[in-house]
Amino acid sequence: MKTASWQLPGEAGQLPNALGFLQGFWEEAELPAALGFTFELALEEVFLNVALHGADSSRVPSVVLELTACDTEVVLVVSDDARPFDPLTLATPDTTAALEDRTIGGLGVHLVRQMMDTVTYSHEAGRNRLRMTKNLNQP
Amino acid sequence: MDMNTENVDGITVALPSGRLDFGAAAAFQQQLEQAVATKPRGLVVDCSSLDYVSSAGLRVFLVAARAAKAASVGFAVSSLKPAVKEVFDLTGFGNVITLCADRAAAVAALA
Repeated sequence: MKTASWQLPGEAGQLPNALGFLQGFWEEAELPAALGFTFELALEEVFLNVALHGADSSRVPSVVLELTACDTEVVLVVSDDARPFDPLTLATPDTTAALEDRTIGGLGVHLVRQMMDTVTYSHEAGRNRLRMTKNLNQP
Repeated sequence: MDMNTENVDGITVALPSGRLDFGAAAAFQQQLEQAVATKPRGLVVDCSSLDYVSSAGLRVFLVAARAAKAASVGFAVSSLKPAVKEVFDLTGFGNVITLCADRAAAVAALA
């Protein structure tokens, strides 16, 4: 089993660094490239939700990324100390709406839920914690 | 992300390549809006070199499709790689944006 964790400021400008951490782990753990897309997307959507919506004017949230890979699954946990917020409570966007009525709000979380096998939220020790898993045998 | 544009029989073909993520979205949007503003017969986004799209990137396709519609410019997207196509499919964007298998089909659809 391989694990890695990294703490960084929850700012949109940090996204390339967060991505670099993920890609480095992917190479080191020799994980399938096809699965990398799913995790890069999940990381971008979840990290930006914290950076763009979780921050208040006085303070940048602290974000911790945790990656775990074993023979059967890969787990990504994104935790932050912004105000408590469960992104899984966001309404599912209407994916059948007409062009004029389409909105982007909630679409990122929708994608993450569709592409991951499990997504669970908890609030522990003052931190939002979103845990996402993907089975390695069903890429 | 890089983007080149070509002109095929009065139809502008945009060729984004690499990653269309949050950081690349604003420049991509500006380029597509500029392309629409020149009032071509149609605008095709050929995604054969596009490796990644997030919801921030999808938003640009939505904005561009609306801008094209408002300007009476035909709009189509072609040649999506499987992973990018999955993102379009899971969000139902294929229902509101014309997706074509390849560039020739997209140009033909707008001709």
